[in-house]
Amino acid sequence: MIEIKGLSKSFGDLTAVNDINLSVPKGEFFVILGPNAAGKTTTIKVMAGLMKPTSGSVHVCGYNIESEPLKARKRMAYLPDFPFLYDKLTPIEFFRFTGQLFGMSESHIQNESDSLSDRFSLGEFLSNPIESLSHGTKQRVAIVSALMHAPEVFVLDEPMVGLDPHHARILKDILRERANQGMTVFVSTHQLSVAEEMADRIGIMNQGKIVAVGSHSELQAANHDNKLESIFLSLTLKTDGRN
Amino acid sequence: MGEIKQISHWRLLFKVNQIQNWRRLQSAVSSSRLHAFLMGLFVVGYAWLAFQLFSKGLQFTSSFPGLGPVLIERMIFLLFAFLFFLLLLSNVIINFTNLFRNRETHFLLTLPVSHQVIFRWKIFESGILASWAFLFLVTPLLIAYGETYNSTWHFYLVTPLFIGMFVILPGVLGSWVALFLARWLDRLAFQVAAMLVIILVIVFISSWLQPEIVTDEMLETRVLDVVDRLLARTQFSLFPFLPSYWVSSGITQWIEGAVMGALFFGLVLLSHTLFFGYIATTRSGSMFFSSLSAVNSRGRKASLWRIPKIKKNSQFDFKPKLLDRLAKLFWWWSKSDSRALIVKDTLTFWRDTTQWGQSLVLLGLLVAYIMNLRYFSHRLTSDFWVDLTSYLNLGACALNLATLTTRFVFPQISLEGKRIWIIGMAPLGMKRTLMTKFLFSTAVSMIVTMALVGASCMMLSVSVERMIYFILAIGVMAFTLNALALGLGALYPNFREDNPSKIVSGFGGTLCLVLSFLYIVGMVGLMAFTSFWAFGGSSSLVFVFGCLGFLIVSFFLGWFPLRKGIQRMSSIEV
Repeated sequence: MIEIKGLSKSFGDLTAVNDINLSVPKGEFFVILGPNAAGKTTTIKVMAGLMKPTSGSVHVCGYNIESEPLKARKRMAYLPDFPFLYDKLTPIEFFRFTGQLFGMSESHIQNESDSLSDRFSLGEFLSNPIESLSHGTKQRVAIVSALMHAPEVFVLDEPMVGLDPHHARILKDILRERANQGMTVFVSTHQLSVAEEMADRIGIMNQGKIVAVGSHSELQAANHDNKLESIFLSLTLKTDGRN
Repeated sequence: MGEIKQISHWRLLFKVNQIQNWRRLQSAVSSSRLHAFLMGLFVVGYAWLAFQLFSKGLQFTSSFPGLGPVLIERMIFLLFAFLFFLLLLSNVIINFTNLFRNRETHFLLTLPVSHQVIFRWKIFESGILASWAFLFLVTPLLIAYGETYNSTWHFYLVTPLFIGMFVILPGVLGSWVALFLARWLDRLAFQVAAMLVIILVIVFISSWLQPEIVTDEMLETRVLDVVDRLLARTQFSLFPFLPSYWVSSGITQWIEGAVMGALFFGLVLLSHTLFFGYIATTRSGSMFFSSLSAVNSRGRKASLWRIPKIKKNSQFDFKPKLLDRLAKLFWWWSKSDSRALIVKDTLTFWRDTTQWGQSLVLLGLLVAYIMNLRYFSHRLTSDFWVDLTSYLNLGACALNLATLTTRFVFPQISLEGKRIWIIGMAPLGMKRTLMTKFLFSTAVSMIVTMALVGASCMMLSVSVERMIYFILAIGVMAFTLNALALGLGALYPNFREDNPSKIVSGFGGTLCLVLSFLYIVGMVGLMAFTSFWAFGGSSSLVFVFGCLGFLIVSFFLGWFPLRKGIQRMSSIEV
């Protein structure tokens, strides 16, 4: 579903992502961890089609994100840490707009947005302007809008920011359900508990490289350590001259 | 499941943004009816006043036998030529921001919307943002032009078509220049070439704008020769490949009844608009994405033009910098926290190119105007003209200062935004914060405006006592305008907005600008009418009353909003 081959991305003299290779198959819940400035968000931005790679390639559902961006983006959803929403629209209007951009029918939009809004307790806010909603509620609106078209690949950057524990739980449940149904989930987070609880595989990035990848148990075995926190710290501290 | 009806993405974007803007307008009107009323009054008032002024000006010019129509025609050509370049510049700036620094653009890039559709939508949006002021400006002029020549009704139907086609071309060209700049701005060769072009343009304009030597004898006996020489300088507006030439020719020929000629220029304009418009809306998407990616991938390394710093032993150098030392030197009587605030405000201002760039443009225009006074001051043989020019100078400096205070001082409190808790929680307190900002901005504007007014008085060779009078007057005005802007800024803060232009366009900003302008017009008028020296001279008593009136109005107009602003800030919930 996601194929990253030899991906590098430089900003002037700084190499943010350095020759990474990664394959995330269909239905996998993949969590990428890493300290600040490890290159996680840059990788995600290249995957989302926000910038061109310096070298290498990214394929989403078999489509190259550079040469066939529309086909790739039609099959994926991207949720940034601070999503953009049209502040004067109501959530219903926003769902209609994004649904129509994905070519969904009116009834399909209504069915999907209704059921997802119910799960995220958005009912009472659906007719209010988005500008009047709290940060967490806006985040829930963005999640519903991203999930409506049933993406085959869902890329999330720090999705738990602003969500209360109740809605964070709902999001985790939905992501797990969808992953079981075949959606590939690619999450970047600093919350090690999310990785421990949810991930089929975990990748750890540091200084632009993936320094470790595998399931929780594989990482434990390879690093002779039971706790993800100490594995993470040992892998990122030993190569990070800043710390 | 219902039938899937595919709606074009561009139409969807248009519709969503239309709803957004309409609701913004509704909420602006409902949140402050007074603001909406004032804005409406300003729009109608401006249109009416501009029409009257243009009408009078055109009628006056057309009254010169033989020469009038030639002058009017050339003015129309010149106006559209300058407006074309201004529109182009405006489109470049707005397109750059809208294409590369816009959250909606980044959001759309992650959806199945083609780069071409995003680019098409964004240049349409930028074109409207860049052109509305142009339309607002030329509409009363063109109506006055039509009225001066008793044009037929169809002139008012055809002209909007010409104008509509005309604004598309700088819009398209501006978007391509923005793409080009975004793509290549970080290349050294590009930077060198751009600097060379800018230097060449400045040299060319300086040599082009050399004053024409015209003697009194020539003015009295060879008027046509003088006019001919002046018109020769405006010849560039007749360059046949300029779109402004096509639109000017079309409009002027239509009003003269030369329908075929006007149609020809209309078709020239239409063919170019269609050709370039088609390329921009169907073939520029990939170029847009390459440029956007280049902007997003740009390193934050030091500029190639920056002098490399010598590395110190410590990575973090907390020693006082030049600005800290200057603040201590000129603000010695103040506490260190006030100085820290001044240093912070100066650094923030300096590091935001758009902030100091705009103030530089405004001040540059004023300096250019004052420097040019020396070319015609020797022609001001009558006392009346010297008096009038000196008061107009004071008005021009004060209006410029009012623009600066409204644009830069008014949003000071709002710009603290979400960071205001830093100051609010510090022992400095809100009251001293406001007073420090007020004293600093007043001191800076006093230095600049008093120097400029002094220089303009010297250019006009006015007497020393009058020069001191004008310098003191602008000093008092600097106090009032800064206090008014900061006071209203504290009374009407907008902590949700980061963009100073948007903060200024709110109710408080509009009120600040309107009050500043009314104050300046009223006070300059008062000073001129009660002047001891000018326009025949008033009695000492009238002069003293005039000065007292000026001082009282100035004091209260500054003190009252500042006091209210301080009260508001003292009780603000951080």
